[in-house]
Formats: sequence, C-alpha cells, structure tokens
Amino acid sequence: VPSSMQCGTRRMGVMTDVHRRFLQLLMTHGVLEEQAVKRLQKHCYKVHDCNATVEKLEDFINNINSVLESLCIEVKKGVTEDDGRPIYALVNLATTSVSKMASDFAENELDLFRKALELIIDSESGFASSTNILNLVDQLKGKKMRKKEAEQVLQKFVQNKWLIEKEGEFTLHSRAILEMEQYIRATYPDSVKMCNICHSLLIQGQSCETCGIRMHLPCVAKYFRSSSEPRCPHCNDCWPHEIPEIFNPEKEREAGTSSSNKKSLRSRQH
Amino acid sequence: VGKKVKDLGYSRFAAEASHAEVCISPGVPMEGPPPASQAATLGEPQSLPFSPMDAPQASPSPQALSDEGDMRALLLEEEEDCACQAQSAAQAQPGLAPPTPAQLVQKAHELMWYVLVKDQRKMVIWFPDIVKDVIGSYKKWCRSILKRTSIILARVFGLHLRLTNLHTMEFSLVKALEPEELDRMALSNHMPMTGLLLMILSLIYVKGRGARESAVWNVLRILGLRPWRKHSTFADVRKVITEEFVQQNYLKYQRVPYVEPPEYEFFWGPRACREITKMQIMEFLSRVFKKDPQAWPSRYREALQEARALREAETIAHAFRSSISED
Repeated sequence: VPSSMQCGTRRMGVMTDVHRRFLQLLMTHGVLEEQAVKRLQKHCYKVHDCNATVEKLEDFINNINSVLESLCIEVKKGVTEDDGRPIYALVNLATTSVSKMASDFAENELDLFRKALELIIDSESGFASSTNILNLVDQLKGKKMRKKEAEQVLQKFVQNKWLIEKEGEFTLHSRAILEMEQYIRATYPDSVKMCNICHSLLIQGQSCETCGIRMHLPCVAKYFRSSSEPRCPHCNDCWPHEIPEIFNPEKEREAGTSSSNKKSLRSRQH
Repeated sequence: VGKKVKDLGYSRFAAEASHAEVCISPGVPMEGPPPASQAATLGEPQSLPFSPMDAPQASPSPQALSDEGDMRALLLEEEEDCACQAQSAAQAQPGLAPPTPAQLVQKAHELMWYVLVKDQRKMVIWFPDIVKDVIGSYKKWCRSILKRTSIILARVFGLHLRLTNLHTMEFSLVKALEPEELDRMALSNHMPMTGLLLMILSLIYVKGRGARESAVWNVLRILGLRPWRKHSTFADVRKVITEEFVQQNYLKYQRVPYVEPPEYEFFWGPRACREITKMQIMEFLSRVFKKDPQAWPSRYREALQEARALREAETIAHAFRSSISED
C-alpha cells in the first residue's frame, strides 16, 4: 500500500482493508438496508481482521466518511419514505446535474427521467402515472422515442433503482432521493416539497389540510408516537390522517418476522 | 496484460511419475489450426500427497500494477496527442488555459466515480469513453488524471484500475490482494486449494481446450479425490471446483452443447487468466511430473511467448515511469 498519498487529501482517517472491502461491497449493492449493512460490516471484519471488535456502525461510517470527504462522495444514511427503513448508499455529492446517470443512459432516456422527475415532484402524492409520463414522449430531446420504448426505459430506471413502480405509477427510489436531493432542491426550488419535521426533501408524505405543511410518513409516526390526539405541529388543527406504523428493528428482531408482514400504508394521503 | 502474482511457490510433490506418459496434442490456440486427433492427458503419477504450500511472495505494489496498465493506454494516447498538438499548432487553435491543480484533482474524482458506477452496473470501462465522457478537453492531462484516480481507488477502495485488454482498450476494476491477505490464506487451509486449482488449470492448458468433467475426475481420482467422498483437506471437492472456484472466477464450468446426457466442462476463468502465467503452469507441470517443461513443446513455446510479452510490457512501463515527472 503506498504510504504517501499525493492527491490533495490532507485530513485522512485510517483506512484498512476492512473499510476498503466494505466500500467495495456497498458500491456493488448500490443501496442497502441497515440490517444488511451491519451484516456486511461484520463480514468485512471477519475477512480482514477477525480479532478486532466490530466498531459501532455509526462510528465506522463516520470514520470512512472523513476519508471520503475530500473525494466528494459519502456513505449517506436515509430512510425509506413509505415505511421508514433506514438505508445506506454510497453517493456522489459533487455532480450537480442529472448527468450523474449520463454514463448509463442516452440523451432521450435522460430526458425521459427528467420529465418523470418533474411530474413526480409536482404531484400531490409523489407519484406520476405511467400514462402521464408516456404522453410526454414527443417532447424529449435527442432521438425520437416511441411509447413502447419509453415503457422499457422506465423499467430500466426501476431495475437500476432510480424509480419505484407501484400499480402503474412511478415515484423516486430511496436511493435516488439520497443521491439527488441536493440536485432536486437546487433545480426545482419552487415546486420541491420539504418535511416540516426533518427538513429534508419530501416526495411522499402526509399534509395538513388546513395549513398545508407536510411530513414524511416515518416522521409522522415518530412525532405522533405517544399522542392520543395528534395535532398539526404548525397550526394545531387535528391531524386528519391515520398515523402509520413504521419499521421498528427491535420489534422485528423479537418477532422474527420479515418486513413484508408489516402493514405499510400507501403513501397517498394528503 | 497486467502483472501476475509471482511465483506461488509450490513444494515438491512426491510423484512416482517416472513411467508417466504424457501425450500432447498440438493444441488449439485461439486462432490456430484445428487440433490433431490425439487427446491430451496429463500423466498418471501414482501418489501425490498435497503438502502445505510455501507462502507466496507479496504482490507488487498497487501503484506499480495500475501504472503498467495505464501506461500502455496512455502511450497510445500520447501518440495521438502529439499528432493533435502538431495539428493545432499549424491551425493556431485558440489555446486552452491549462487547468489548475484543483481542477485536475476534481477530474480525478469524477473519473473515480465514473469507473465505480460503470463497474457497479457491470458495464465495460472503455478507454475512449473515459476520454469522451470524463477527460474531455483535459486530454493532455489524461495521464496524470488517470494516475491520480488509480491511486485513490487503490488507497480508498482497494481496487486496481487495470488495462485488461490492450486490443479493445478495456479497463477493469480488479480487487487487490494485499500481502496480508496472502499470508492469511497461506496460514489457513486455503493454500492446498491452489494445488487443486493448478491441477485443473494445467489439464485445461495442456489439452488446449476445455476439460470435460470426466477427464478432470480421472486425474483427481488418482490423487484420492472423488466427487462423492468428503476429503480431509478439501471436504467437498466437487463443490470446491464446480462452485467455489467458479464463483472466484478462477474456473468456468459450462455445459457441453448438444451432448446428451448432459456433460460439463471446465475452462480457465478470467481471474486465472489475470493472475496465473503460463510459465507458472509449466513450472507446476515439470515439478509434479519431474519432467523438463519442454516435454510439452507447444505449450512451453506459448508460455515463453507470454513471458516475453510480459517482460516487454514491464520494460516499457519502467522506462515510462522513470521519464515522467511528478504530478
């Protein structure tokens, strides 16, 4: 291993093969849920340093991020919008445009994604219907794309974890939200929605019918956890929606059930 | 054409191979003539206990590894560049302001991410694409950008960005095998696997084409290894060779087309091609069968050719390394 690094990084944390393998595997998977990340971490220790105690995940990741900071990438933690599962992804902070994906997709495909993204952001539910997206096919930059082709491209986005499809409608994959939050906030400052509790980008959530503030479903669950009478944090009116049940790692470990058994509300409440 | 793991270091096998017959076919090089009717088989040593392997030498430093791959590609680019510059001087193109060091560093980071994403999506990392998509107008500084990216990838991710195919100018991200890991492998029970693997690779190499599973078991049987019996060192041998070695990309295990009932055959996997030289196979064979490598003349010739090509590549890389200035 070269002892001196001459790539402009001054503040380097300690990188060992444990961290390197972790990054390799995290990159391979794209986005992982927290339980899988913990297993991954243990695996890396087992392979490279089986005698060491496994560091607490948060510290482990902070250590890695101190090294990655100068490279403009980060192991970012997020939460799935529909059922509050913690997820991790290695994201690129530097690129500020959708051209992040540019190496994978053609010009007209990128433009299709942009159109879908705009529809999603503008929508109330955070979902854009397949029909509405496909109707924009004529407006795409680049080579002319037929609707049939566009359907396949949308499926490609789903496979690559940029979009999620639910019953013919599309929303952003949590990985896309993690990676593109800054870009979205910068590009659509007027139409973008924010969560009143955690102050990050909001695609799906619940909103107050009186004053219009919005909250992520996991944020709603956490905020109203012990409330018998949930009230809007902004205008104090009764909160009109059902408080969702959110992923609880403790409960799942005890029960030994998988997440698919948990009832996760469709996030189309507003 | 990357550097290979040098000298895996086998201990000698107690082989009673004095009467072993080794038939060689002219073999099937990639674009060569069709094979002769003779089938090639390895000899039949009577007993070959597997002894623990010597610890192998440490692999060359990641910097050297990536440099060598880079250099080839960049040498090609260098020629293009000179031509371009001559042209632009003649046409008096508007001069580009040289990028600041910070901009070069940023480009290196962009390239790092580009390569990681391509690899994640199992897409080919093609040198002309790198130049088109990332380097862009900084073509003249491609070499230093690529070098910086290689260093970062090695240091932070433990990956080597290596030119894996000079003809198609493809790069790959290859996992680095740190010396510590090699030592650990040697200390654990993994090293005997190397002998098993080399046996199969040698069989394939000598045959000059895929080795049918039946042929492989013919050889392994003599070593006391059987598909249905658990072995004290190797445990489930069949699992090791058809699953583990395949997963590790050392072997390919494929169905023979148009054959009923189904039969399978083994080929060299991409990792074997990268990490093991033909000369190492010849050394292995000569050690196991106590014969001069020239007992397999065409194979030996091939091994010599490969060794020469590797030496040449090293010479170029060395000359290049000593001629370029620091970043």
